[in-house]
Amino acid sequence: MTTKPMTLLRSSRLVKASVAAAAFALTVSVAGCGAAGQETSGETRQFKADNGTVEIPQNPQRVVATGYAVPTLIEADAPLVGISSWQRGEPMMSDEDMKTYQDLPRVAGETAAETNYEAIAEQNPDLIVIGVPKPIFQEIDTERLESIAPVVAIGPDVPSAWKEVSRKQADAAGALERFDEGKREYEQKAEELKGKYADALDGLKLAHIGGYGEVENGNFQREFDGSWGTNVANDIGAEYYGQVSEKGEGSRAVSEYPSLEQLPSALKDAEAITYTVNADGSLPEAVKYVLDSNLWKNLPAVKKDMTFPVKYTEAATYGQATTALEALDETFAPLLKK
Amino acid sequence: MSTAPTQAGSAPPTRNAPSRIGRSAVLAGGLVALLAAIVASIAVGAESVPLGQIWPALTDFDPLSGDHLVVRDIRVPRTLLGIAVGAALAVAGALIQTLSRNPLAEPGILGVTHGAGFALTLGAALGLAGTALGELGLGVAGAVLATVLVYAVGRHSTLRLLLAGVALSAVLQGVSLGVRLTSPDTLDKYRFWSVGSLAGREQTDLTIPLVAIALALVGALLVARSLNAVALGETVAHTLGANVARVRTVTLVLITVLAGAATAVAGPILFVGLIVPHLLRRLTVGSVPWLVTLSMIVGPILMLAADTISRVVLHTGEVPVAIVTAFLGGPMLIWVVRRYGAGSL
Amino acid sequence: MTTTESPKRTAQVRVPVRGRAWWIERRTLGVVVGCAVAMLVLGFVGLSFGSSWSTPGEVLGALTGTQPSVVIVEWRGPRVVAAILFGAALGVAGAIFQNLTRNPMGSPDIIGLDAGAYTGALLVMTVFTGATTTVAFGSVVGGLLTAALVYALSRSGGLSGMRLVVIGIAVNAMVTALNNWLVLRAELEVAMAAVGWNSGSLNGIDWDDLILPFSVIAVLLALASLRAQALHQSALGDAVAVATGVGLERQRLLMVFIGVGCTATVTSVAGPVAFIALAAPQIGRRLARAPGVPLLPAALCGAVLLQLADLIAQMLLAPVSLPVGVVTTAIGGCYLIWLLAQEVRRR
Repeated sequence: MTTKPMTLLRSSRLVKASVAAAAFALTVSVAGCGAAGQETSGETRQFKADNGTVEIPQNPQRVVATGYAVPTLIEADAPLVGISSWQRGEPMMSDEDMKTYQDLPRVAGETAAETNYEAIAEQNPDLIVIGVPKPIFQEIDTERLESIAPVVAIGPDVPSAWKEVSRKQADAAGALERFDEGKREYEQKAEELKGKYADALDGLKLAHIGGYGEVENGNFQREFDGSWGTNVANDIGAEYYGQVSEKGEGSRAVSEYPSLEQLPSALKDAEAITYTVNADGSLPEAVKYVLDSNLWKNLPAVKKDMTFPVKYTEAATYGQATTALEALDETFAPLLKK
Repeated sequence: MSTAPTQAGSAPPTRNAPSRIGRSAVLAGGLVALLAAIVASIAVGAESVPLGQIWPALTDFDPLSGDHLVVRDIRVPRTLLGIAVGAALAVAGALIQTLSRNPLAEPGILGVTHGAGFALTLGAALGLAGTALGELGLGVAGAVLATVLVYAVGRHSTLRLLLAGVALSAVLQGVSLGVRLTSPDTLDKYRFWSVGSLAGREQTDLTIPLVAIALALVGALLVARSLNAVALGETVAHTLGANVARVRTVTLVLITVLAGAATAVAGPILFVGLIVPHLLRRLTVGSVPWLVTLSMIVGPILMLAADTISRVVLHTGEVPVAIVTAFLGGPMLIWVVRRYGAGSL
Repeated sequence: MTTTESPKRTAQVRVPVRGRAWWIERRTLGVVVGCAVAMLVLGFVGLSFGSSWSTPGEVLGALTGTQPSVVIVEWRGPRVVAAILFGAALGVAGAIFQNLTRNPMGSPDIIGLDAGAYTGALLVMTVFTGATTTVAFGSVVGGLLTAALVYALSRSGGLSGMRLVVIGIAVNAMVTALNNWLVLRAELEVAMAAVGWNSGSLNGIDWDDLILPFSVIAVLLALASLRAQALHQSALGDAVAVATGVGLERQRLLMVFIGVGCTATVTSVAGPVAFIALAAPQIGRRLARAPGVPLLPAALCGAVLLQLADLIAQMLLAPVSLPVGVVTTAIGGCYLIWLLAQEVRRR
């Protein structure tokens, strides 16, 4: 048996390695000149992100966004040149935003492993905003991205964190103006609805049946304050009583997955129950399972006909949340008559 | 039940007599244990229902009581399912082991259940799995294809057979993962059949699969005696007048129906078909009818026990039963192989 | 290179290496050269492919330094080299296990390496919320511990293939169940990240990532090539091996160690890459028409297969790249079907 092919490989690798070193040195110096060139056209500032304090351009002109930053920055009219695909946000986009989403070049898939570094480099960005949740961020090759453009990682850890997170993302991309408009719109609407439903929701004990994530067979998802299905409702004064029995990290601090058997005892004190539905009004499998069972029909709140479907529970931008508010207004209307 | 006429060269006649009494004792004991397991399955769950409420729940049903609803609408159907699936998998395992004369053959290990699960996933993605009959058909079809593939590749040696089963399971799971990654819509349905679980099925229509399993079990009892003869070797079987080819075919059909139906209802569950025949091995040497009968009792016991554990092992929520059977069956398999050696048995 | 007259050596070729002459089957030489050419061609394609095709001129320019390109040398380069290196390592690991179990369906997966590596990675991701390097470390530890467990359990009575396989199946099932449990209990986003890791991917590999694995694999492969003769003999049967004086148990243990080490190293960087270890040795064996499962064709076929799989993974749904593990699983499926066809034809 000969070791020839391996020797061949090894020596060519040596050549490649030295070439790589030379090429890298050359590129860095060239890039340095290039960056200096860019710097003169716009100052930079220090920005605090999940990956530390990063120096980013004051006025980015070419932004690449991934993850949750995609719908946020599309809404905020940031100067985007490339995005990751983000199927979670698709059902909630307005027609205009959807068009923008479809027209922008794709530079990454849903997961970190599908990041196409070359495609990002090709767009020649001056800022990269990584909006994926913190655990996924670990899997991205940050160094490589940093060799293309400054990278800021801003991701949510709990579901209700989208407000701060999306503002930070818009801030980094220099799109605060339009963003704050959307924020004001949302806050106004929330105040309005809060006043409208103040009496109806005052002291009303609510519970939420969710459909997010992997709900195992025989289980259901219960969401408390600050979770996906509840955080927008919280803003108009809805209160979801109770707590997770075994608190975990992130979303596990505000939602849990009990067995269906535990439905009667878990929700017996609920005076009204909200449940997640899809954007078109249809029931997700996990929620349908609960609603079809006799245990559900036997709950006091269900018998009093105090159940309300909630749309757009995955809202993670102010625009989406405003749509969610409108849907909430529609679904809670019967409360005003009682 | 009569055993085959005294087999030349096998156990001397004096061993049969105590053995028969032993078998009957085990049968009786098994039925008692089964009853206990049924009671436990109805009494225990994620929600603690006071024991005093259980009998009234079954006899004097109060539709307004949450506890009664839990017992009647969730636990009773689940117990029935556990019995059916346990019996189906145990008997399928017993049949496969007898037919292939291979003590390590089992629908789970050989990838048959994974094949059924994959066919169901694919069918769901293509929109074919709407009805209970459709699901049953898909499950059986998948089981058949998997069995054919694994046996064709691994016919010549036990090792090959096992490895082929392992490889097939790995491929199918990998492809399922690939489908799931590229098309999240199938995610919902895929989840249903990726890990075996008895939970969440009480709302689906169980009559068709349960009837299919019941019929197949009856068929297994009927073919058991002929299988006895075949298991002794082809020449002996011929002299005893058994039509070897027909018995083999019928047995294979029964195996795939049992494994396919069980998977269609509960997803892929491993090891039940392995553990049960092994526990009964010593007791039922030389008698397939006894093996099948006792498997139909011990299988459900095992399944119900595993299911009950799966309900209480987590503080909130449940664990899929396949995880429990893996933890029960794995050490069992290891112990068997270490004690008795891999080739003998 | 000359062929001698001696009848039993007509099919062999004399290759002078470092002053000594090695006798090599002409067929093997053909396979080696063929695979080497394939590797170079695929490597070249790999260096040219990206979000935009580079011309051969640009690639050559980047390699020789006349037209420096970060993308070609820094990004595509490590990926191509990783595919070759890891594919070779996996091929060798598979060949070792198939020799050991004397069975064409043997592979390191059977002793629970991949499942154990996933457990280690999951524990790091969910319990310790660690960074990438910690995950790699966790996966190596998890894989090695699982392999050690299987070995320890199957030890009494020697490393007979059957016992190892059966215990491997049992441990695999338990560890997989454990993994399912861990994913169930994990926070949603962590669970998604973990599932992504488990699919195996060569995306984002840098030269830095390759230094350690390269050294480890180089050492292991060197060891393997030194012991290759002995492995071949033991593959022909224990009796032959004992007669020719090979220290059987120690021999086996060393080879298992090499196989496990190769697989664990690859898994730590790229995640579990399925089926290369299963398919490559057999393809290599059939190409080289050798008895037993020779290591070199296995290594070369593994390298070519993984390069091919990685290219397909990048090209299929461009610009989004698939995890390479998904493609290799498809290869595994085809391999099984091919095996089935062989069996049917053999009847």
